[in-house]
Amino acid sequence: MNYDPPMRFALDNQPIEFAEGDSVAMAVVRAGEHPQHGGALCLTGDCGNCSADVDGTPWSRTCLTPARPGLTVRRHPAIGAPALQLAAPANPTQSPRHSAIDVARVHTDLVVIGAGRSGTAEVATARAAGRDVIVLDGKTGHDVVGVYPGPLVIVRLNGAAGDGLMHVHGHEVVIATGSADLHPVCDGNMLRGILTQGAAAQLRASGVELPDAIEVDLADLVRFDGVDGWISAVVTSDGTTHPCRTAVVTSALRAPRDLLARMTAEPAVRVVGSAATAYDLPASPTSGSVCPCSKINVEDLQGVWDRGFQHIELVKRAALCGTGTCQGAVCMPHLRAFVTEKSGAPAAPFTGRPASRQLTIAEAAAEVYLDAFRRSPLHFEHIALGAQMDRFGGWWRPWNYGDHVAEYWAVREGVSLGDVSTLGKMVVSGPDAVAALERIYPTTIADIRPGRSRYVLLLNERGHLIDDGMVCRESDTRFVLTFTSGGAAFAEMWMRDWVETWNLDVHILDRTLSLGAINVTGPLAGELLRRVGVEDAPKFLQHRHADVAGVPCHVMRLSFTGEASFELHHPITHSVELWRELMAAGRDLGIMPHGLQALFGLRLEKGHVIVGMDSELDSSPRRLNMEWAVKMDKPDFIGRTALSRVADLPDHRRLFGLTMDGTAPIEGAPIYGTGVHAGDIVGHVASSFNSPLLGKAVMLGWQKHSPFTDTVIIDGREAHVTETPFYDQAGARARA
Amino acid sequence: MHGPEHLVGLRVVATPAVLDATVWPATATVLRLAADDAFVINAATVDVADEHAIIEAETAFVGWELSPSEFEQSFHRHLEWQVPPQRPVFAQGLAAAVPVKFWVQHDSVLVICTAAHAHELAERCHLPHHPQAAR
Repeated sequence: MNYDPPMRFALDNQPIEFAEGDSVAMAVVRAGEHPQHGGALCLTGDCGNCSADVDGTPWSRTCLTPARPGLTVRRHPAIGAPALQLAAPANPTQSPRHSAIDVARVHTDLVVIGAGRSGTAEVATARAAGRDVIVLDGKTGHDVVGVYPGPLVIVRLNGAAGDGLMHVHGHEVVIATGSADLHPVCDGNMLRGILTQGAAAQLRASGVELPDAIEVDLADLVRFDGVDGWISAVVTSDGTTHPCRTAVVTSALRAPRDLLARMTAEPAVRVVGSAATAYDLPASPTSGSVCPCSKINVEDLQGVWDRGFQHIELVKRAALCGTGTCQGAVCMPHLRAFVTEKSGAPAAPFTGRPASRQLTIAEAAAEVYLDAFRRSPLHFEHIALGAQMDRFGGWWRPWNYGDHVAEYWAVREGVSLGDVSTLGKMVVSGPDAVAALERIYPTTIADIRPGRSRYVLLLNERGHLIDDGMVCRESDTRFVLTFTSGGAAFAEMWMRDWVETWNLDVHILDRTLSLGAINVTGPLAGELLRRVGVEDAPKFLQHRHADVAGVPCHVMRLSFTGEASFELHHPITHSVELWRELMAAGRDLGIMPHGLQALFGLRLEKGHVIVGMDSELDSSPRRLNMEWAVKMDKPDFIGRTALSRVADLPDHRRLFGLTMDGTAPIEGAPIYGTGVHAGDIVGHVASSFNSPLLGKAVMLGWQKHSPFTDTVIIDGREAHVTETPFYDQAGARARA
Repeated sequence: MHGPEHLVGLRVVATPAVLDATVWPATATVLRLAADDAFVINAATVDVADEHAIIEAETAFVGWELSPSEFEQSFHRHLEWQVPPQRPVFAQGLAAAVPVKFWVQHDSVLVICTAAHAHELAERCHLPHHPQAAR
């Protein structure tokens, strides 16, 4: 004897039997229940009235979820959102980047969304023309989540289509999603027992009995009456009360199912068939719930309208009508009717926002990667030396090697190596190279002689600092430029854009990832270079090519630390060899590498600004006390017009050097004013450091209220404006 | 599948017309990274008829030599763009958010990325990675 036990899943811990082919919602209705606490059901995925928590995933459309044994379905709370389900704490030792959600990438000529009459016709036409076509339809398990620029269609797979997500790239997308039944909006429309005509047809076709059902035309509908949350009667416009337990709302009006069409205005996306059809609006609602997702009723709409939000986009934003899980699929016709009647002008549909289906965080994050952080060619040298690595400016960099104070003293009193491979490096060559750089930089370029270099600011059109670096002249028509580590990629784009705009004959090559760079710094740096074969090291702000320990290098003499410094730019294939040779040659000099923690302090003692750390988006040279690096007598450079326009205006922001006794405050600490600004926050600390040499805290900090004062309060202590550099004001050590 | 290996060659930046007309060494593989920019693998010298051309030894890149099936297996989940179907073809873009270049021939694919990014590409696309070889 064959015995097939009934198939069941659990709804709020109660067993629900289901038949083969049932969706969860259909099985729930079959059992005489409602997947939520009320509201008309359409069973087509258009509305959110059947949303529930399915196996721990809230906001699941149960009408699109195939029923299967063992499912756990929980209704959302009647008031408020479902509780956030927190996963177990992540194991920080494991990589978080590999998702369990599979993402398939598909490329095709044509993507047709919807397999109804219009969609099928599009497919036939395209295939007859020999085009490659992919058809996406919810009935075959392709639940379209959104249409993005590209065009890119993101699909969630379920049922027969499999699991995971699919990214479909098409040269063209056709949206043929058809039309949808209108949901009723009147008093009692959030009761249980209300169905659209499409839902009723589906249920009947599946053998579901609809108890005491009556049909009511939307145009005749006045209200639903109810008992204990279930519908008990329908009242129609002729004043008749029709007792029932099920109401099937019919209407000659239908609304285009255009949510996906409203997501993008790409020319490669076409909308066809009913989804593209203009439609008559229903009567403006006078009572009842308009937006079941956001629980917005007619009184809420009237309230925001009366407060002056008298455009459909404003009503949407002020009332949140249409911002819920169905993105206006249900409420759009009624909201448009409301605004149209109030304003007297037709209200156009508002933009749809992906996703049209609620995604889990795992689905939204599937195969989404963080930007790649680059490794310097010396990465493993740093790790072998015990470096604590951290991410700065798009790179993994050594923060310290265990004792940043010892690293600091190695620079100040001996010799130290710093990995500056991350600096932006660029070659510029061509007959118009000087003309280009004169316009790019606010500094004079033409008078830099070959073999010499100059510190430069990079300003935008507003005269605000966006980067800085060095200009090294190699010949009349060839230069090597450096930029900050985090600014290199932007600087290349900036240079190329301007050179092309000006139509100058200049070649540009970004060498950032081709060249390593090691900064040899400290009073014994020259001695170390002599030991590795550089007898004639360049003088301050000079540069030349030389073999260093047998490695071809471009040697640049400058100083960021305040001590004599030589940057050795070299092919990355030689970085490890060069680093080890230098470390070995300097062993008896007490050489040690220094990380960023020491470097930030060393440069702060010299008052050197780090772009983006000390500067802000609107920091002009004047605000940074760097007007010395701007030559306003040049005929033109980017930012000159803006700087000349504001040159004589008072300014109320200034970056100051500050010192105070005791421990340095944290970077970002508020600065309180004194005198007329007593008690007011006037700025913040941009950089701070406990100076081992000076025995006090040194800082760069902003005052953003004039008059500026010489004394401010930080951490409850007095700090004093101090001229920078704090250390070696004459710069003798850097030039030594 | 093996690699990555450092790709040794020249980087040549010159006017596009000059690059178009340049006769490259017979043993070299020339990849046009841009209209004015060529990466010439396996070349030590080259004559370019542009006195302002930038010609530099290039060591930034590493490469993995993959069979077509290995390439498909490693990258089909990680490209939001379509590799052009013709062979041979040179293509550039992002794979798993890492900048990559593909030199696709009939029987092999050279996957190229900078040494600085190699560890990320290897981890994200499950390619072999020997840190000491690709530094």
